[in-house]
Amino acid sequence: MPTGCGPACGRGEGELGLPPGRVFIFSRFKSSTVKECIHAILKEKLADAQYVPEEVPQLTKSLSEIIKDRLKEEGFDRYKMVVQVVIGEQRGEGVNMAARCFWDADTDSYAHDVFVNVSIDCFTIGNVKLLLL
Amino acid sequence: SSLGKRTEKASVLLVAIESAIGGNAYQHSKVNQWTTSVVEQTLSQLTKLGKPFKYIVTCVIMQKNGAGLHTASSCFWDNSSDGTCTVRWENKTMYCIVSAFGLAI
Repeated sequence: MPTGCGPACGRGEGELGLPPGRVFIFSRFKSSTVKECIHAILKEKLADAQYVPEEVPQLTKSLSEIIKDRLKEEGFDRYKMVVQVVIGEQRGEGVNMAARCFWDADTDSYAHDVFVNVSIDCFTIGNVKLLLL
Repeated sequence: SSLGKRTEKASVLLVAIESAIGGNAYQHSKVNQWTTSVVEQTLSQLTKLGKPFKYIVTCVIMQKNGAGLHTASSCFWDNSSDGTCTVRWENKTMYCIVSAFGLAI
């Protein structure tokens, strides 16, 4: 597992021309890291799974918790996090998903990944938003 | 009270859904514009409430076809100040699920 990929942060004390109290980030949150993390988890958990209606609610819930816990371990513990997982059965229906956020563009960001498993006929969207504490 | 806040949030979401897609049948060519419209209206109404929160709003629209859809979310935040509200809406041809997350600044 990659280490040291979380951000380092500090608060401005009026040096470097930054207003006092303004948070600045040494290394920016990398949404590609988060996306890889989501992708790895979805692939690992869903590659051999079957779409069983009784089990899917539990699967959706546990996937979102696993992703959240993995990201905390990866060093994003200075962030508040919202992880959303959507699993749908594929029967040729149309699906569309959109999101909008009201946040601090300097510090907050998001990553998402879509996993389609043809053998079990389901698509999974993993959606992660991170907001600096 | 938190129940009052929840009802207020839920009604914001419902109004946005109704005004964007209420009375419409599922149309593939329009659904992109609908999801965008629902999230934008919801977000704009939530920010008008003037509370010190960051917001995340997501919307899923799915055509009714007998297939199943599940959504779950997991959050790492401050339980005393942050919260979420999800509204499920449907008509004869489609389902719409809107989730709003509010995180205190």
